[in-house]
Amino acid sequence: MNLTPLNIVFWGVAGLFGVGLYGLLITRNLIKVVMVLQILVKAVVLALVLGGKISGNLGLGQSIAATVIVVDTIVAVVGLALAVQVRRRFGTLDVSEIDTLRG
Amino acid sequence: MDNIQYAILLVGAILCAYRAMVSKRILSATLYLAGISALVSTVIYKLGAMQVAVIELSVGAGLVTVLLVYALSVVGDDALDPSSIISKPMAFVVVALTISILGWMAYTRWAIVESTGSIVLADVLWQQRVLDVWIQIALIFSGVMGVLGLLSEQKPGQTGDVPL
Amino acid sequence: MAGWLVVLVIGIPWLGALLVWLAADARPRLQHFIAVLFSVAAGIVSLVLFSYASSQAVLLVSFAPTFGDLTFVPDGLGVSLTAISAVIGSLAVLFSVNYMHAEKQLGRYYFLVLFFIGAMNGLVLSGNFLFIFFFWEITALCSYALISFHNDDPKAVAGGMKALIITQVGGVGLLTGALIAFVNTGSLQVSALFSQAAEIPLNVLSVIAFSFLIAAAAKSAQFPFHTWLPDAMEAPTPVSALIHAATMVNAGVYLLARFYPAFAPVPGWKTAVMLVGLISALTAALMACTTTDLKRTLAYSTVSQLGYMVYAIGVGSVTAAQFHLLSHSIFKALLFLSAGAIIHSIGTRDMLRMGGLSAKMPFIRNTFIVGALALMGLPILNGFWSKELILEMGFEHSPLWAYALMLLGAGLTAFYTFRMAWLVFFGEQRAQHEVHAAGVAMKISLGLLSFGAFTSWLVFGGLNNLLSRTLPFHKLEQESTLDVVQALLSAPTTWLALLTIFLGCGVFWFVRKKSTLAYKPSLVLDSSFGLESVNGWIVRSVQAFSKVFQITQTGQLNWNIFGIVGALLGILLVLWWGAS
Repeated sequence: MNLTPLNIVFWGVAGLFGVGLYGLLITRNLIKVVMVLQILVKAVVLALVLGGKISGNLGLGQSIAATVIVVDTIVAVVGLALAVQVRRRFGTLDVSEIDTLRG
Repeated sequence: MDNIQYAILLVGAILCAYRAMVSKRILSATLYLAGISALVSTVIYKLGAMQVAVIELSVGAGLVTVLLVYALSVVGDDALDPSSIISKPMAFVVVALTISILGWMAYTRWAIVESTGSIVLADVLWQQRVLDVWIQIALIFSGVMGVLGLLSEQKPGQTGDVPL
Repeated sequence: MAGWLVVLVIGIPWLGALLVWLAADARPRLQHFIAVLFSVAAGIVSLVLFSYASSQAVLLVSFAPTFGDLTFVPDGLGVSLTAISAVIGSLAVLFSVNYMHAEKQLGRYYFLVLFFIGAMNGLVLSGNFLFIFFFWEITALCSYALISFHNDDPKAVAGGMKALIITQVGGVGLLTGALIAFVNTGSLQVSALFSQAAEIPLNVLSVIAFSFLIAAAAKSAQFPFHTWLPDAMEAPTPVSALIHAATMVNAGVYLLARFYPAFAPVPGWKTAVMLVGLISALTAALMACTTTDLKRTLAYSTVSQLGYMVYAIGVGSVTAAQFHLLSHSIFKALLFLSAGAIIHSIGTRDMLRMGGLSAKMPFIRNTFIVGALALMGLPILNGFWSKELILEMGFEHSPLWAYALMLLGAGLTAFYTFRMAWLVFFGEQRAQHEVHAAGVAMKISLGLLSFGAFTSWLVFGGLNNLLSRTLPFHKLEQESTLDVVQALLSAPTTWLALLTIFLGCGVFWFVRKKSTLAYKPSLVLDSSFGLESVNGWIVRSVQAFSKVFQITQTGQLNWNIFGIVGALLGILLVLWWGAS
């Protein structure tokens, strides 16, 4: 395997994504869930730019990455608003205690 | 030389991500998150996507951090992360398997295409991806609604509410 | 134009459902108004649709290249059933204005009723399997939610659950048949199944045919799935009228009528359909003779009358089945709504606690008796003409024993109908009640339905003409109303049937004193000839199966994400395995 910058970025994306996914599985605090989602999305943004670079159409990759950044920010805002409201109604941010959807 | 720079930046980002994930105090996790954002945007900048790098830095490291800190100040003393309910080795195995298969599948398939001339982001954004722009506008409105939800004060006498 | 009408006839009730829901329960008068307005508008549109009936697709939704073009076809079967569902449905909604006036959660009630009507219209106008299945499932969902409307009553919840699970057995049958048909014809269009039926291997075609028979039997509460309909009586009475007359159970008969030309060549299919109808008609009539719950008796009579329609399809007369479906939906809606008015007035469904109500509610007595006479099949009410037509067709095209048993069924119908009317209105008064007067909306819808019970048979010629004109694969003969009236009046079977009906009434007259005696539980009839246990077993095993998977529903975010990641891993492993 010859190491080019693109290869390194690729494995960096995989590492970031893996940490984000792992964090999503073990995190119990709702605000921290929002933060872990941010880590995941950073990996995705990087992957989109990398994809644009690889396929020779960096403009397209960038424009989609920009959309994803906007989407992600909105997700963070709505997620945090939900977390605050959940804290008000349930008195906790622990997702293991917010299980009103239990079957 | 380039390789080493990329490697340092990305290893730094992953370390920051790890620290953000394991830290028990969420306020410090917020700072690590801002660190990831800065490092990732540097990588994006070095890849040649200047505009997105700037957006990422200002939004990811700036705006989101401010929002997080604000939310933490609202919820106050609850800013601690208890230990996981899923056993960590199991979560690790599942994630590691998923990432390695996904990475291997993608890695063995890519083919580098040389850039066909310079493509300006503005052209792509305003000509090819007009739909995205409209979607972003709609999204920003929902974001405003989210901010209102974040800022809204508790109405007195609401049932089921627990005072902060 | 016709395409827009199809959109309207589905869309108006659905839009009304949304608006009723948005109107919020704090404004019940507005909700009543919106529900009546939109259901009546849908009824009017459904009548306008008659003039645009054709065998051609009028609305085309492109799902190319996966599924091709999917269509809506307003042919005779479709528009007549749409009219039944929308018009009878609107009368049931009008009735609800009085019946539900003090109920809470009107938004949920009207939302589901209007959603139900729209889905039924969509179901009968669809020209392809995908839409049929889609609307079919919506009607199942709505019937479940409406039967369990009083969701603090465990009996209502159990009844709704039973209806949902049993009709889902039918849904599985429909899906199986439709998928096999799709694989063999390469098209989701119903017309493709008709035109290519001869090219499909006979054993494959018979699998499709019998899957659809299961679907129809479960939906129309026919043997051996008939036990859910009586248990569905916990629903508010206008909903019972809706399910029995306008929407739900007609779908099964519709399915058989729609696919009759494709499946008729399958050996044994027509006999099986005939037997299902025959057994349902007889057993349900027997069970109706012993029940003391007014709505339950009516429910058994619905199963029995649907048995007549299925029998008619089994002997090859789609027209007779559709004619009886029209008559039945009018007089059964009339009976149910009258029963609803009685129950609303005195607050009980137990016929042993009624009696002697004749003088106290003359209007409802009159409408109920009109419905009862039509159900018995006495001239000149609509039930007479359609039932005689079915019996005559049965006499011509089925074995003599089958005809004799159906004739016996007609006698039993007369017996239990007379018993029901007697127990409610005549004899001595067995309990004291404070009688509330029926409301204006109730009287309007009951009056219109009584008028329909007297006159709807006059449209036979038009209906027959419509069906024969727009159903090219069914190859129906053209007959005018006058032809049928002459044929029926000169046929000996008609007089034989009338004799049987009077015999049934006469038998009841001699045992009427005993009919009010304390009800002795009979093991055979109470368990629906043992089928109660079979149906109960289906329901219980589905629920036990679901219970096993309940542990996966922890409601905790981490486990949910773990499930998602695990599924992703599974998919990746399969892909990897496939690639290597």
